[in-house]
Amino acid sequence: MAEPFTYGRRGISGRFEDAERELLRGLFRDVVALLEPDETPEEDPLAALVGISPEATEPEDPALLRLLPNASKDDAEEAREFRRLTERSLRESKAGALRAASLGLESRDVLLDAAGAEHWATALTDVRLVLAERLGIHSEEDAEKIHGVTDWSDVGDDDVDAYLALVYNFVTWLQTTLVDAMLAGYRAGGARGTGPGEGSRGSR
Amino acid sequence: MEPMSLSVATEPAPGLSEETTTATDTARIVPWNLVVWNDPVNLMSYVSYVFQSYFGYSEAKADALMMQVHTEGRSIVSHGSKETVERQAVAMHNFGLWATVERAGEDG
Repeated sequence: MAEPFTYGRRGISGRFEDAERELLRGLFRDVVALLEPDETPEEDPLAALVGISPEATEPEDPALLRLLPNASKDDAEEAREFRRLTERSLRESKAGALRAASLGLESRDVLLDAAGAEHWATALTDVRLVLAERLGIHSEEDAEKIHGVTDWSDVGDDDVDAYLALVYNFVTWLQTTLVDAMLAGYRAGGARGTGPGEGSRGSR
Repeated sequence: MEPMSLSVATEPAPGLSEETTTATDTARIVPWNLVVWNDPVNLMSYVSYVFQSYFGYSEAKADALMMQVHTEGRSIVSHGSKETVERQAVAMHNFGLWATVERAGEDG
């Protein structure tokens, strides 16, 4: 069983079993694949260069829509324009964090600095958002029901939902320990003092 | 909104042009809100961490905003020019939070 992420003098450390590393790398890979844009051969190379996607439309897959949500609730045109200008860089940024977290799993022991921890936190979040959509978690009650599935011996051979629920709960537990460690580091002075709206992970 | 031409028609008294410029700037910056929405997936601790680390809010303020998201379904966590809140919305989406932008005064 993995050890919880803990904050210490050297940073945030975690430790995984081989099977857990395989599981997590598979999950990270799946979400990266989900985020890969559908390449259109006739795409304008200049648009690609400056990071806009003129043809971007709201994703039909609800899981992908949760990763790349609309930025306007009531104004569809506003949301579309926002998507054209920002969706590509958001996809790339998310995929980058997932790949960074995956690379960190080359060894059983994981040691994270502040930036590495944020990559892990967003990667685990994106995995949980996708799994939650597949599991139909749309309310607090749904989430509670899933949290009740904790025992591997309850999972039948072809009970995909129960398996997904256990995976979801494992990733949730992992992220809980990671965020606790990040908050401990932040309180201990690891705050990087990014001002309002000037965080390093802005729209670039 | 005060039309710019008005200041031109007025006697250019000292200090007036400065005053006019300030008023015009304020009128041009229509305030926008950044709204973060509740979801049953994101951890409460994570949402608070994001509000602290990204916006530089105190733990108390971040927790209060997070609780508002949790109990009321949404919270205005920042406001400013449209460009500013749009940049912040992208950052929230990168963190996995769902955020939208809206003109100030549209809520409720």
